[in-house]
Amino acid sequence: MNDYTEAEVQRALAEDLGVAEQGITVVRSETGLVLCGEVESPHRKDEIVRLVGERFPGVTFAVDIGVTRAGAPTEAEELA
Amino acid sequence: MIRIAAVGDVHIDRDVLGRFRPALEELPGQADVLLLAGDLTRHGTEAEAKCVATEFGGLGVPVIAVLGNHDHHCDEVPGVLAALTDAGITVLEGDSTVVDIDGVRLGVAGVKGFGGGFAGRCASEFGEPEMKAFVRTTGVVAERLGSALRDLDCDVRVALTHYAPVPDTLAGEPLEIYPFLGSYLLGQAIDSAPTALAVHGHAHHGSERGRTPGGVRVRNVAHPVIKQAYSVFNLAPEHVSPPTPSGI
Repeated sequence: MNDYTEAEVQRALAEDLGVAEQGITVVRSETGLVLCGEVESPHRKDEIVRLVGERFPGVTFAVDIGVTRAGAPTEAEELA
Repeated sequence: MIRIAAVGDVHIDRDVLGRFRPALEELPGQADVLLLAGDLTRHGTEAEAKCVATEFGGLGVPVIAVLGNHDHHCDEVPGVLAALTDAGITVLEGDSTVVDIDGVRLGVAGVKGFGGGFAGRCASEFGEPEMKAFVRTTGVVAERLGSALRDLDCDVRVALTHYAPVPDTLAGEPLEIYPFLGSYLLGQAIDSAPTALAVHGHAHHGSERGRTPGGVRVRNVAHPVIKQAYSVFNLAPEHVSPPTPSGI
């Protein structure tokens, strides 16, 4: 794995229409890649794992992706 | 006081339907209007826009939106616009709308915006045709935003964009991609009118708060940044009668 692999993974996450994620950070570590960020549903996290696993079979990667909370705000910001 | 709810980058598709709705049902008790700061869909299909319409339609408050880069990806913008407007969502691109809130006229001007970077580190309209077209695109949309803001006949002005008008709210993003996240030209357009608040999205790893060089408050409401269904900004009475613009 090298810089080119890292770039290819980043582009695949954005350009694959089943994923279309530009907000995932791809970080290289001693043991492989770490995918970090937030997505809108558990399904999208699963799709990212599937895509990277299928497209880059020789790459070891860890997933640190969460689903963005969508609760109502508990307070407003006062713009005085 | 005017209460403005806002969120961007919700990237709705079928798998997200219903996630925002419980919080949105509470919105009319918390805000007078909802602004959607672009990237409403996952990759810009009409089918996804119909999901947006289902999730954000019929809220009981006016919903005003701009599109984002994701909403353009599949080249189905007319279908996307139709789905949104059929649901009563007002979509702005170089124009504005005025909402009466208990006798106070809230004016919202919006554009998607585009990139180019920020003062001291920005792209110039020079060199290859592709480079000139890139920078010229931002110049044109920024001019349309400034014109729409200045032409508004209202009591309080708000600017709505997808791309960022200042670098402050990009803090957390890699510096290398700032030119793809926004442009100072949008900030200059916002400063050309007595704007009370500017709202944008696009920068998922950015931060919430910033100001234009002219002192206008800027808020990044990208969903991954605010980590809630929407943020609410209460504009105090002094913003309702802003000073005369200094112009640019």
